[in-house]
Amino acid sequence: MMRGGRSLVSSPPAFSNDAKKLLVCTSNTVSVFSTVTGLLITSLEGHTALVTSVIVVPPSNPAAKVLCYCWTASLDGTIRYWDFSLPELMKTIDIRMPIFSMVIPSFLDVPAEENGKHQDLFAYVSIEDTKETQERTKASRRQIRKCNLSKSRLVGRLILGETRKPEVLTVSPSGKFFGIRNKCKLHIWKVLDQGSERAAVRKITLHHTKKITVIAFHPTQRIIAAGDVTGRILTWRGFGNRAFAASNGVADQKLINVQEDKPGVRDNDDADSCSTWHWHSAEVNVLSFSSDGSYLYSGGKEGVLVVWQLDTGKKKFLPRIGSPLLYFIDSPDPTLSSISCADNQIHLLKMPSMGILKTISGIKAPCFYPDIYEGLGNGIAFDQTAGIVAVRTENYCIQFYSLFDDRGVSEVQVCERNHQPGDDVIVTSVALSIDGSLMSTSEVKLAEEGIGGLVCLKFWDAGSQNKEFSLSTIVYEPHRDAGISAVKFHPSGNMVVSSSFGGDFKVWKCNHDVIQNDQMRQNFSWTCHSVGSYKKKPMTAAAFSADGSVLAVAAETLITLWNPYKNVLLAVLGETLTPIVNLSFVGKSDNLVAASCGSNPQLSVWNMSKLSVSWSYKLHIEAVASAVDLSSFAALVLLPESSKKTTFKGMDGVILLFNATDPVPTVIWSVRKAKGGALCFVQVNPSSVEEISIDGKAPEVLLAYMNGDHEYVLFDPYCKDAREVSVSQKEGLAAHDHKGQAGQYGYASIYGELPEFDRKRPEAPWVPSFPSDRPWETIFSGSSHNLPPLTKLCSAFLESLLEKRTAAAE
Amino acid sequence: MAEIRAEEPASTISKTFLIKPKLKSKPRSLPQTPESKYWSSFKSTKIPNLVSSISSLSFSPSPPHLFATAYSTSVSLFSPLSLSDGDVSPSSTISSFSDVVSSIAFRNDGLLLAASDLSGLIQVFDVKTRTPLRRLRSHTRPVRFVKYPVLDKLHLLSGGDDAVVKFWDVAGESLVLDLMGHKDYVRCSDCSPVSPDLFVTGSYDHTVKVWDVRVENSRSVLEVNHGKPVEDVIYLPSGGLIATAGGNSVKLWDLIGGGRMVYSMESHNKTVTSICVGRVRKENDGAESMEDRILSVGLDGYMKVFDFGNMKVTHSMRFPAPLMSVSFSPDCRTRVIGTSNGIIFAGRRKGKENVESGRVGNVLGFESISEPERRVLRPTYFRYFHRGQSEKPTEGDYLVMRNKKIKLAEHDKLLKKFRHKDALVSVLSRKNRENVVAVMEELVARKKLLKCVSNLDSDELGLLLTFLSKNATMPRYSSLLMGLTKKVIETRVEDIRNSDALKGHIRNLKRSIEEELRIQHSLQEIQDLGTSRASLVNLFRGLGNIHLPSLQTSLTPAALLTSASLILMFGNKSRMVFVNFF
Repeated sequence: MMRGGRSLVSSPPAFSNDAKKLLVCTSNTVSVFSTVTGLLITSLEGHTALVTSVIVVPPSNPAAKVLCYCWTASLDGTIRYWDFSLPELMKTIDIRMPIFSMVIPSFLDVPAEENGKHQDLFAYVSIEDTKETQERTKASRRQIRKCNLSKSRLVGRLILGETRKPEVLTVSPSGKFFGIRNKCKLHIWKVLDQGSERAAVRKITLHHTKKITVIAFHPTQRIIAAGDVTGRILTWRGFGNRAFAASNGVADQKLINVQEDKPGVRDNDDADSCSTWHWHSAEVNVLSFSSDGSYLYSGGKEGVLVVWQLDTGKKKFLPRIGSPLLYFIDSPDPTLSSISCADNQIHLLKMPSMGILKTISGIKAPCFYPDIYEGLGNGIAFDQTAGIVAVRTENYCIQFYSLFDDRGVSEVQVCERNHQPGDDVIVTSVALSIDGSLMSTSEVKLAEEGIGGLVCLKFWDAGSQNKEFSLSTIVYEPHRDAGISAVKFHPSGNMVVSSSFGGDFKVWKCNHDVIQNDQMRQNFSWTCHSVGSYKKKPMTAAAFSADGSVLAVAAETLITLWNPYKNVLLAVLGETLTPIVNLSFVGKSDNLVAASCGSNPQLSVWNMSKLSVSWSYKLHIEAVASAVDLSSFAALVLLPESSKKTTFKGMDGVILLFNATDPVPTVIWSVRKAKGGALCFVQVNPSSVEEISIDGKAPEVLLAYMNGDHEYVLFDPYCKDAREVSVSQKEGLAAHDHKGQAGQYGYASIYGELPEFDRKRPEAPWVPSFPSDRPWETIFSGSSHNLPPLTKLCSAFLESLLEKRTAAAE
Repeated sequence: MAEIRAEEPASTISKTFLIKPKLKSKPRSLPQTPESKYWSSFKSTKIPNLVSSISSLSFSPSPPHLFATAYSTSVSLFSPLSLSDGDVSPSSTISSFSDVVSSIAFRNDGLLLAASDLSGLIQVFDVKTRTPLRRLRSHTRPVRFVKYPVLDKLHLLSGGDDAVVKFWDVAGESLVLDLMGHKDYVRCSDCSPVSPDLFVTGSYDHTVKVWDVRVENSRSVLEVNHGKPVEDVIYLPSGGLIATAGGNSVKLWDLIGGGRMVYSMESHNKTVTSICVGRVRKENDGAESMEDRILSVGLDGYMKVFDFGNMKVTHSMRFPAPLMSVSFSPDCRTRVIGTSNGIIFAGRRKGKENVESGRVGNVLGFESISEPERRVLRPTYFRYFHRGQSEKPTEGDYLVMRNKKIKLAEHDKLLKKFRHKDALVSVLSRKNRENVVAVMEELVARKKLLKCVSNLDSDELGLLLTFLSKNATMPRYSSLLMGLTKKVIETRVEDIRNSDALKGHIRNLKRSIEEELRIQHSLQEIQDLGTSRASLVNLFRGLGNIHLPSLQTSLTPAALLTSASLILMFGNKSRMVFVNFF
């Protein structure tokens, strides 16, 4: 079982101490990426729910920089301690309450163990108390608690605060303060130096009139910045002078003097001054001070990173990032930082110049359109041979995402415009040819009060070497002003059918001529080959048979069969109750699957030889997939509301695997978030067989299921018991890159890498007497005058022992 | 090779997109072969207003390769150099002829020019002074050709309607030989490029005869039958092959092989009137070489380029008149074609190469004159600040490519700032209708077009109405603009009533829509006729100018209905009939 397509931006990532790795929370796991190559190195697996925080243990001295330890907290109620270089789980603390956020302020205050007295390490967690549901109101179940990590337990009944919603804790870089936002208020706690369990933590509150969205602490001074929903950034200086200083025994008199003029500070808040900056037009999501404290980074929905000079308020911009910003993380390396965007991309920035070095690209989230346009597919197309999925993104792109490698491959801008939220341009469908070299997309521009609507059909071809798609043909209004319901490729790739709600379908044919200028270049152009219609009924779905000789087009409730080359109507198949939305031929067999939706949804299988229905179910089908050379197909079924609660816990869909001739499904899997999902059989190409194996043998096809959030899973549908698919990562690639960039030390830095030790020489059979696999059994046998000299024998003997040990270790 | 590197990737991730008009469909044309590219690179100049048919064209063998044209009773000399400057007046004209000039020939040093006319007289002129030096009279009937042997400066060859080929001694104005044998008019001849004694003549008796002046009894040494009256004959540069033109065909003959026909090229539709040898530059594996071609022109108005190495027609070019004569300059830079109605199509190529077609060794050309010396750059010159910028990269240099700068038009900038109305006004005042429509479409996508329309003040509204009255009926834009026009009039009816200027615009709009309706009506009638009577359709198809697909596209029912309803809105009741009609 291979999972992928997870969100990289559910929680803030963290840099390792040498800034060579980036730890990203990806649902149940933490993925470790190389910051140089942007590729996945390893992942920490163990949590059973969403990981909400990852904290890298900072080095206590410069030598400890190479250590790779981190704490993670998750919604499954555990806090875990990892060595992420191996990766290995070191420790698990179960507090049995979902943790929304965790901070560990006092790393620096924990003295090294050499003085003999080990001090406890404390974390502050934002949790939901699930136990005391009866006694307490729901409002106050979200609590801020303290946790003793060394002793693996929560600290007594100490509840620092209660909030209505789960809030994110923010800690100051110095580790002295941490705080949360609570609607229009800010709560700040001061961490006491002594890590005794019961020590009361002091708290102050700062007030604002708008809802606060994000806060940040200054690394050295007592400055806190907060962003609100209107886009303002507030900076309080000298917060907590009164409350926190009192504990340190400073005279009260000084405080009174301070109290006299507090420009901008609301009510009787404990701060010296408060200033406001306003540039953002919408809510501020990102707020972070630079490590020296002279700059403040802010960002929000506009996708612009703003750098404020703290003293003067002067601004610098990194514009057009293209998606709302979520997190900005500084790394220990002053030249590197990262921004996480809402479109599931993490950009690594080269710091002073703010150029983008690398992008860690996750699958982009599905885009939701208001339900005004009919025939909007889910915008997902699969390249079965290469294991690549093409998904539609919000900014009119098609993202190509490798299912096996779990990373973005490329992106194609379908519609040449910048994304603005109010615009009514929709990429409606995308189709890929079987070999993945041709693509067809359709887009629609909705009319403004009846004028100016436009439907566009575009054909793309991939260059032979770089796999970048380039536009070959645009067809404006292919079916006059009617929308396109389906676009399908012929198995040979040189024919496309597009069906429209306007009552006709068109078959497009590809003429390609080879232009031979400086390099060989193929020039594809598509022209309309034929037009067909059946009783002026809207054509709602289309499919080619596996050999390409039959074209099935659904005319609302009927299925019409055509010869695509001669444009001859072959047959018309019976009637369903509601319009058919999905047609698919089952492999090479003579069966056709039709799915209709609406009030009377139906999944029906038609026999082509008898031209009659074989069997049908009343099921709401979201997607149908059939492999090219198999006689079975898989259907993704949306469960009706009534059965959701009773039989399937939280699951809203099932995948059914049918043999086309048999109405009883062979296998059933239940899945979540099936709405907007997609299914596909993916062929395992021989080159990657050694990477994917199930119980040692390689499957021929895998079934890919992608849910409504574009998370996907790949599994072998025909493997009955073993569900575990072991995937050996492309370690070679990632590890090699990692080695290349990890700075060279000592000898290597002066003289370069040592040449590879030539292992072949000692293996050469210069001792002719032991050809056996287990030389220690035969090495000393035979007459003594036949034996080689003892020095040679001895080394061979020892070597054989060594070999045995390594074999055992494996 | 210098390494080319892109500049550090820019910090922007999303790109800037310009507002572009919709793509137009391009006519599908065959890709150009290198050879047709070569022939198309002759920049064509038209020399008009020569009185009648251009009977003969000839290039001077010596640089600058003047060419002489024979038309009516005069001979004009043109300089190819002035042609490339666009000057089409002749550099000099000889008009001391009593009858129509039939043929002209340069001597191989380019100093003398022989011309024959239909009165039977042959005159030899000095090219510089244009004075007639010798007058050769012996032909009793019109002379059709006169030729100087390629390797001989002293003799002249002529022939005409008296079926006799005459060999002249020019200096003594005396006839050397009378060559009898042709049974009909002798129309053409060519002299061997390899021997001063051999020549070939073609006649209307369908035969081509090869003559040798050394043969005593004045009989032809070889005879081939073309099968049609021979219009032109040439030696190919090797001297062993000849090409003959007659009827619709050009035939190649192997003289050394005893007069065997090698190939017959029959791609002209009418009589081939003239042929000549042209040269084309070929690049084979980087090495340049010249290859010979036969250029043939015919009464069908086509010039065809025939590759007699591969026996293929490699290029074909159409001219708007029957063609009478063709010639190709020895330096391969000029080709001239004469038509039957007194126009010369001269084509001249750019380029410095000074390739001779092999007949005459060239010593000096105009091209070799050195260019003016470049001035030393001083800081007061503007060029001083650009010095070194055209330097070519050397091997091992890193060439840093800068990202291409995107030029934003004013409406692009305004749209980026969401100033929609200003963008619309700005593009309306630019008068590029494709851009206007593109901006309107972008505004539709942003759902802002109608808001813009309602915000326009009266001047800007006038601008919009002017645009609409000009373009609303264009079929390409009508689906958008018709709807827009309707909306504009609906929303701004008060403003239009209050302003006389706007009323004027509305009148223009009304007029253009009425006209469009009239056109569509008549087209519809044609189509109706066509559907009822298939023969009429064929008639219209035969007419060629009206073809039915274009009719159908312009007759989109939506456009018709909107235009009809617009008319209704203006209160023109008489147009109701169209609505019913459609």
